[in-house]
Formats: sequence, structure tokens, C-alpha cells
Amino acid sequence: MKVTIAGIGMTKFGELWDKSVFDLAEEASSRAIEDSKIDSKKIEAVFVANMLASKLDGQDHFGAVVTSILGLSVPAVRVEGACASGGLAMHAAILAIMSGMYETVLVLGVEKMTDPSSCEITTALMGAGSEEERLSGLTFPALYALMARAHMEEFGTTREQMAEVAVKNHFHASLNQHAHFPFPISVEKVLRSPSISFPFTLFDSSPISDGAAAVILTKKSVKKGIAITGSAVATDTIGLTSRKSLITLAATKIASRKALKQAGISLSDIDVLEVHDCFTIAEIMAMEDLGFCEKGEGGAFIASGQTRLGNKMPVNTSGGLKACGHPVAATGIKQIVEITEQLRGNALNRQVRNAKVGLTHNVGGTGATVVVHVLTK
Amino acid sequence: MNSPVQNWRLTKNIHTKVGKVGVVVSWTKVYVAPSGFEHETPYYVAIVEFTKGNRITAQVVDCESDPQIGDKVVTVIRRIGKPKAAEVIQYGIKVKPNAKQK
Repeated sequence: MKVTIAGIGMTKFGELWDKSVFDLAEEASSRAIEDSKIDSKKIEAVFVANMLASKLDGQDHFGAVVTSILGLSVPAVRVEGACASGGLAMHAAILAIMSGMYETVLVLGVEKMTDPSSCEITTALMGAGSEEERLSGLTFPALYALMARAHMEEFGTTREQMAEVAVKNHFHASLNQHAHFPFPISVEKVLRSPSISFPFTLFDSSPISDGAAAVILTKKSVKKGIAITGSAVATDTIGLTSRKSLITLAATKIASRKALKQAGISLSDIDVLEVHDCFTIAEIMAMEDLGFCEKGEGGAFIASGQTRLGNKMPVNTSGGLKACGHPVAATGIKQIVEITEQLRGNALNRQVRNAKVGLTHNVGGTGATVVVHVLTK
Repeated sequence: MNSPVQNWRLTKNIHTKVGKVGVVVSWTKVYVAPSGFEHETPYYVAIVEFTKGNRITAQVVDCESDPQIGDKVVTVIRRIGKPKAAEVIQYGIKVKPNAKQK
């Protein structure tokens, strides 16, 4: 697949009370266009990932919102797949280029989440689950807590091991100026923070964030362009109760095997990865399901420090969803932005040395949609 | 916004789902709730399995301490959440500890 990342851009992630969803869309898009050094008039299509503007801002028709902002009259579509919206929009944009119809496209992920109360946003996010789950009073922390509880029961995964995920990702975020929480925390701080949904505390959970991220994709040859060599999507049942297993995301396995095959690489070729750590248990399960360790050993694998910057296999150098922040539809694009920075060698004090191949793993709902991309220098 | 027809669809077969005994497969205790459930926090929600692979999610009620994985529970009809002023009262399935087990 001859698709190259020509430009990247993102806003700061966080509680950006002075910025609307439209301001965020404009900021990230213009940064990506500027970074690409491609004239915006050369953009032939726009793919916008957004989950909640319809509910929270009353704004449907988001594709045309973005072309209005950019002063373009090209085709524009909004792509929605809950927290995997960003990854899905990337996939759709890549297909559009591979079809031969377009040469250069913009992909934008944007979300404005901090205006409503935590109760309202918790309700809105349950749109990513099943009807049965909504009627059971479940929330997203609660759904992942159900998976965590099963994982603890079956493998003896501990609260301390889960807390290590948050500690590592906060350390990485402390090196990222765009992060929502650019400061380190301790295991004790995670364990002693307020309960959200047993066994999770506040610091097991990714935050409610505002933010946007954008990339320019092209099939033209670009100086120092980063190639997309794998792009795969898999789906699973929308609700947890229809799954064979609570302790694995089958769609992660399917999408990652497919993306690696497309790229013609194996796991050992990967130098850096961004995985979907919406809750601490999610990163543990992601490492297992991607195949970096055996099922059940994810907690010990992360606690060993191997996935911390400076060690063998750095995971979530941006700070992940946990500490870089999680503006839901922006997350999948932010992962691409972070890996691109790493492969370009521009990640400053969080640079992974000699990073040549990177992988992104973006999950929607409790794993009903999973998108995996492979990027190569 | 829940409506009478939506409720009818959700509850038309509810009588076939009551009194079933199942086993807790996993559970959580919710402290931060979605709209309509705020007044019930903290509350328990479990995944309950009846025959192999036949599972539901449901709130656990009438339960004095944390449920345990493997506990037997029985399905009951209860009010679901708290309706807003113009909404109808919703009923649905919850589970409670199975007294016959003890």
C-alpha cells in the first residue's frame, strides 16, 4: 500500500475551556497542513473522526464543518466507531487513496468532552456499549472493571500491577508537552485515589479530555515521509455477554495479525507502539493479545519495566490514553502522530533510539472495533 | 428519553426471564453512575451465566456484602433507574442472591 504520512498536527490535550470543538478542529488541521508543506488546495478529500459532537454540541454533518473551516469544497465524511473512530477514519482515508480516486487527503480526529458533567459524559460514552449494558447501569469503567475482575480471578493479576501501567504512562506524559497530565505519579497514589468502579480507582482510568489530532496522507513521494505498511480492522460483539472470553479482545488478535502480515513483519521488528490503555487492564490485555507476552502474564510483563522508555519495548511514549488524555475520536489519530514523531526522530526527550517500525492499536467500546496500523520509516 | 413503545418492546417477554438461577461470572461496584442511576451509587453490577454461554449483565440487589465469583443468584423484576419527569417508569431484570443456596 503506497500511502505516506506527509504531515502531522495536534492540539494540546486537556480541559481546554477556552476552545470549542470547531477551534480544536481548525487548530489540528492547520498544523498538519503546515507540517506537510503541501498547499491546502491540493487536499482532495477530508475524513473526520468524531463520536460525541452530535449529542454534546448538537452538531451533525461534521464533514462539511471541517471543509467550511478550511475553505475547501472537496468530499468530506464523518467516521464513527466510538473510541476507535480515529483509527477507522485512518483506515477509510487509506482505502480512498488506494482506490486511486484521491492523491492527498486530510484525516482529523476531534472531540470536546469537558463541558458536560461527569454524569452526562458517562451516559454519552455508553453509546459505545449495548442496550442491555445501558439498562444495567453499567459505565465504561464498569465494563472494563468486569474484565479486570475476571482477569484477576483467572491469573492472579494484582492491583499493583495494574497501577504500574498508569505510573509508566504518567512518566511518559511528563515528557510530552501536549499531554493532559504531564506529571509523574506513584503506585500508592493510584491505589489511594477515589473508587470509580471496583477494582478501578480514578487513576486506573483515562481522563475526559478535549483535543484534536490530524494527519495529511498522500500517495506522492514525500521527503522524510513515513510509510503506512499495514492497516487492518476487526469487529466483535457489541456487548460483553456474547463473548466467549472476558479476558481477551479477539478483535485485537485478528486486526494485529492481519496488519503485521500486510506489512510483512513480525512482532520482533517493532520498535515502539501506542496501545489503547483506556483503563490500566486494557494495556495489560493488549500486550497479551498482540502477542508480546503469554495470556495472563501481562501484569508481570508491564511491572518488569520492559515497556518503559529506555528499555526493550517502549509502549505509549505519548503517555497513552491514561496520561496524554483521551478525547475519544482524536485518540486513534494521536497514536499515528506520536509514532510518526518517533520514526522521524523528532520525539525529543521521549525519543526511542533508532525507531524504524511502529504500531498503533485503537479500540472502540469494549473491543467491538479494533484498528491496528503499522508505520515504517 | 424512554418512551412507552420502547418500554413495551423491552419488556414484552420479561415474564419468561424471571426466577432463573445463574452464577456470577464477574462483578463490579459502580461509584460513578450514568444519568438515572446516580441516586443508587454505589451499586453492584454482575455478569451472570445460566447455561454455558448464556449470559446477561444485571444489577445485583438485596445484597449485603460484595458478591463473589461463583455465587448463585436469581433473576427478579425491578424498576430500572429513575425516570425523568416526562418519562415512563422502566422495569427490567436484576438479580439477587439465591436464598435456596444457603
